[in-house]
Amino acid sequence: PGVPRGSAPVTSLLALAVTSEQIEHLHRRFKQLSQDQLTIRKENFDSIPDLEFNPIRGKIVHAFFDKRNLRQESDGLADEITFEDFLTIMSYFRPIEMNMDEEQLDRFRKEKLKFLFHMYDSDHDGKITLQEYRNVVEELLSGNPHLEKESARSIADGAMMEAASICVGQMGPDQVYEGITFEDFLKMWQGIDIETKMHVRFLNVDTIAHCY
Amino acid sequence: MEVVWAVGQVGAVWVAVVLGLVMLPSALGISLGISEAYMWVLVKTLEWATIRLQKGAKKPQLQMPQTPNANGIIERDETPMEKEIALLHRADFEFSHIFYFCRKGFEAIVEDEVTQRFSSEELLSWNLLTRTNVNFHYISLRLTVVWVIGVVVRYCFLLPLRFSLAAIGITSMIVGTTVVGQLPNSSVKNYLSEVVHLMCSRILVRALSGTIHYHNKENRPQKGGICVANHTSPIDAIILTNDGCYAMVGQVHGGLMGIIQRATVKACPHVWFERSEIKDRHLVTKRLREHVADKSKLPILIFPEGTCINNTSVMMFKKGSFEIGGTIYPVAIKYDPQFGDAFWNSSKYNIVSYLLRIMTSWAIVCNVWYLPPMVRKEDEDAVQFANRVRSAIARQGGLTELPWDGGLKRAKVKDTFKEEQQKNYSKMLVRNGSVG
Repeated sequence: PGVPRGSAPVTSLLALAVTSEQIEHLHRRFKQLSQDQLTIRKENFDSIPDLEFNPIRGKIVHAFFDKRNLRQESDGLADEITFEDFLTIMSYFRPIEMNMDEEQLDRFRKEKLKFLFHMYDSDHDGKITLQEYRNVVEELLSGNPHLEKESARSIADGAMMEAASICVGQMGPDQVYEGITFEDFLKMWQGIDIETKMHVRFLNVDTIAHCY
Repeated sequence: MEVVWAVGQVGAVWVAVVLGLVMLPSALGISLGISEAYMWVLVKTLEWATIRLQKGAKKPQLQMPQTPNANGIIERDETPMEKEIALLHRADFEFSHIFYFCRKGFEAIVEDEVTQRFSSEELLSWNLLTRTNVNFHYISLRLTVVWVIGVVVRYCFLLPLRFSLAAIGITSMIVGTTVVGQLPNSSVKNYLSEVVHLMCSRILVRALSGTIHYHNKENRPQKGGICVANHTSPIDAIILTNDGCYAMVGQVHGGLMGIIQRATVKACPHVWFERSEIKDRHLVTKRLREHVADKSKLPILIFPEGTCINNTSVMMFKKGSFEIGGTIYPVAIKYDPQFGDAFWNSSKYNIVSYLLRIMTSWAIVCNVWYLPPMVRKEDEDAVQFANRVRSAIARQGGLTELPWDGGLKRAKVKDTFKEEQQKNYSKMLVRNGSVG
């Protein structure tokens, strides 16, 4: 009851291991956030105290409304998301299962990295430019009065140089590094295990007649 | 003529019943055992219902991690930020740093430690109340029949009974304290005032079918002290006054509450503040300090959280109560949600619908622990002292401690908290030598 039926089927990534109980939990959480409406808007995320703590709060909320993450054909930001969309975003944080094969694992990893990539690439042009990267660093480091803007910049520049060296190798003096594309991004993460860092694991709350 | 005589007879019988079964035992503090018998029947019924529910469910038991924290649905990673980031890589700032905050953000969105404290505690098995069953699965005919009987019993039998008991309780409180208030100040007056207060509290507790277990009565608050407790509902005060006399602290209200306040303050020195006075913190502290300094006055009762929390955790204690001085007597109150949910979600229900819910629950069962008295140490400030008291209460009651302010029920988080987190993060980076 209450879980919307008759709308588009839930994405296949999700259909595998999330039980109906967990979907009910998420639905209740959705209703709490949306204050019993059918959709959530950006303002609804203001009511989460734990999230206020988070320096990249803006980017995380943004990620929920990013049409690329919602697997919609068009680009840009949605104004509001339904429960289906909510589950779609949640599916990026599914933990890996024991019984996944190579191909599934690879697809999984790509999905998660794509999600992260979209978080950095704020103008949706498919590249993480130096300016975009600087924005992220500044957000993460803001709030420390002892750290000047210049230091944040130099940190960003340094990291970008390292990224360039991994992706393009040695650059000539007049070569301009335009930005990190998704393929370069993938290259940077080769060999590093991100699957276990980017997941949220549900506990098995085995209730019989579940009560509120 | 005969009708009048019959009505008179019924009236006399009724008065005799009320006096004999309700008022006398309450005045003398003895129990007739009716409540105990009711509770016994109730417990047996609920046990039977639980067994039937378990038989009805046909799901196989999965071997996945069982939740130790009854209120969490996701496994939160408690690794502190430093460790997590050190694990992820070498020292410098990298793309990887975003992982930690990303995941924390998602955890907060899926399940929020704070907001869930402002909704009622979830039960592990249904207690035959409609309000606690969001999805009513039809389990068996017998269970439905019992549930229907339950509804009839609760609404047609218990509710009128409780309502009349409550009316008797409140009326005797007002009448009794007004009468006692006419007497000149003396020890007799104090004694009578205590008797009246205790008697009315007991009647009101019976009106809620309350079963209260008091532990460690030797630590009961003494005169000239301050009693501090966690706050779940407006009836907390009644629960505590059932076992002792306190000087209440609060704002002056209008209506029925105002009448009660005006009547009781004549008999016993409660501290009622006008709305305008409450804003002036120094005035409030001064008056309370004067009260506490007088060792002959009853201990004052304060709920430092400032708002009702759902009884699974203890939130931030406002430091004002701890600046007054004197001895603090902490008390932990834990309700058993199986029989009735005492939590008042003031943003969702108003007081009348709340009282209606309480009166149509099975019962209010709770445990009250009196903790040993605490005094502020030399090198402690009010905030640290408040936290120390809070830890003691949380530990005794089996509640978790949250550093958050109960005011978050209605307001947003202060920017200072967010900046604190960002400061920690950037301090860490700077320390790792990645600057310039």
